[in-house]
Amino acid sequence: MKYMKNKIYLIPLILAIFSLSVIAISLQLDTSPEMIVGDSMQARSFPIFLMILKLFLLGILTYQFYKNKPKAVSLEKYHTWGSMLLFLLFYLLTVYTDMFIGIFVVIFLMSILWGEKRLWVAFLTATVTPGLVFLLFDFVLKIRFPRGILMNLYYG
Amino acid sequence: MFEQAISAMASVMVDPYLLGLIFATTVLGVIIGVLPGLGATTGAALLLPFTLTMDPVHAIAVLATIYVSATFAGSITAILINTPGTSAAAATTFDGYPLAQKGEAGRALGIAVISSTVGGIFSVLILCFAAPLLARVAYEFRSPEYFALTVFGLSMLASISAGGAVKNLIGGIFGVWLSTIGAERVTGIERFMFGNYELYEGLHFVPIFIGLFAISELLVQSKTVDKIIKTVSMKAVKLPTKEDYKKIWKTILRSCGIGTFIGVLPAEGATVASMIGYSEARRWSKNKKEFGKGSIEGIAGAEAANNAATGGAMVPTMVLGIPGSGTTAIILVGLMVHGLRPGVYLFTEQVEKVYQIFGSMFVANVMFMLMGLYAAKLFARVSLVPTQILWPIVFALSVIGAYAFQGQLLDVWLALIFGVIGFFARRHGFSVAPIAVGLILGEMVETNLQHSLKMFDGQWWLILTQPLALMFLIFAFLGLCGPVIFSWITKQKD
Repeated sequence: MKYMKNKIYLIPLILAIFSLSVIAISLQLDTSPEMIVGDSMQARSFPIFLMILKLFLLGILTYQFYKNKPKAVSLEKYHTWGSMLLFLLFYLLTVYTDMFIGIFVVIFLMSILWGEKRLWVAFLTATVTPGLVFLLFDFVLKIRFPRGILMNLYYG
Repeated sequence: MFEQAISAMASVMVDPYLLGLIFATTVLGVIIGVLPGLGATTGAALLLPFTLTMDPVHAIAVLATIYVSATFAGSITAILINTPGTSAAAATTFDGYPLAQKGEAGRALGIAVISSTVGGIFSVLILCFAAPLLARVAYEFRSPEYFALTVFGLSMLASISAGGAVKNLIGGIFGVWLSTIGAERVTGIERFMFGNYELYEGLHFVPIFIGLFAISELLVQSKTVDKIIKTVSMKAVKLPTKEDYKKIWKTILRSCGIGTFIGVLPAEGATVASMIGYSEARRWSKNKKEFGKGSIEGIAGAEAANNAATGGAMVPTMVLGIPGSGTTAIILVGLMVHGLRPGVYLFTEQVEKVYQIFGSMFVANVMFMLMGLYAAKLFARVSLVPTQILWPIVFALSVIGAYAFQGQLLDVWLALIFGVIGFFARRHGFSVAPIAVGLILGEMVETNLQHSLKMFDGQWWLILTQPLALMFLIFAFLGLCGPVIFSWITKQKD
């Protein structure tokens, strides 16, 4: 129970850690000679200023959470986590095989994950969409896609 | 100048290619608008990469048409299925759906169409007159004024509709920080690149926006896959009768003014405008009891205001380079990508292009009116496209759009990462629009602060000696602290 009560401060805490990390990294940035910067700011000053401002606002947010407890956020369904995992699969397939293979597999699996029971519909969506998009970008917009198994066959 | 403007606007009517493009984009915009979750901002973000090879005027006309037509089309689903296609149409559900349930869906849609068109055209006319005048004022701006203006723009994030003031400001600051990634402009010092030289020129807006708006929306929609949509049947859209016009004309005019004014305010948009338009319609109405039960004044108030905000939001975008909403942030990126630098020079050096864009918005308003009147029933069916088909397609368009912009895979990964960031931000009540606006304004804030410091030999407080800069900073202060001060004063009085 106590854990649940304190859980609402997790977001301000994560954001505060992020801000402190940015300040720490900013302090490691190189400094410019006086003759270049003159009366203006060093490259590190602006991000540090922003993060201090953010920490101040996070203080206010924490106080607001203390005064009015925010509503609990419901846990996502498996569709959401599954979709995020599909993004990861898309990354792996694009890097190791081909971007269009990645798009085909992700569209097909995402359709099924989201509740499409007809396999042929999922297959058709996964085939036709990248196909049409490829035709549009390649023939009309003249954009070259990254090389992979399929693109090597196409571009030669 | 006036003749040049008129002839440029008229040239849109005699350019068959541009007219065809506006027609096709209006159809697409209405489809995007009726699909719950997609909306004008996501639609513009997805379409931006497709405009890269177009002529600048055509490209911006496409984005502006998506903006106006999708903003209107949100009302179709708001009335027929009680689900606003866009957040700007949320207020339309209050009276649109109850009226539809009474068997008057056609009448509700007719009023929404006419109110939206009047609102849209009114704001385009205001845009044509106000933008050049504001540009003349902006001609006097130097770095301190621009710095103060961008601070004012950022302070207005506090009042964006979604999220709370503090959360929006945190989002805005995160966006400004994102703009510091890459080589610093004056010294060339690398910031937060971690050895990734593809980030040397900073994060590009397009993949970030695709991630924040389209991919994050995909993840949000994944939570609603089991939702069952019920539609209200409708025979045809009916034009308002004479009695209806008598009842709503004042409301429409009032909402036109409210919507345009709210649109002009930096970082405000159609959603806020429609809410205020609706509440003002209720406040001034003689039939307050009808509100919430199918009042035509409620529909007119919300719809005229949200479409009037579209033209209003283009004013700060094109004149000052400060986006008035999430969609105008994308249009601003479109302007910059096509070499149309927003600001005074746009109105002095490229007047013709500016007025062609305004003319395109005018035509788009007329086209969505015709589509709304004659094809709303057909478009409403589009909203029944199953989510399990629609959103995987959006995924494909998002990743290819992100890649196509610069032809680098890093942009695709950035879009996916920012999609997940945007999703978690929204999950915890942070709106993503402030991040986008912060990202755009970030460079302006830092650069103008640097120049101002140089101007005043490092004495930053001298910025306050510039009257216009001081005025904007006072506005910013009032925008941030005003509500707290007023509530404190009211409490003391009580």
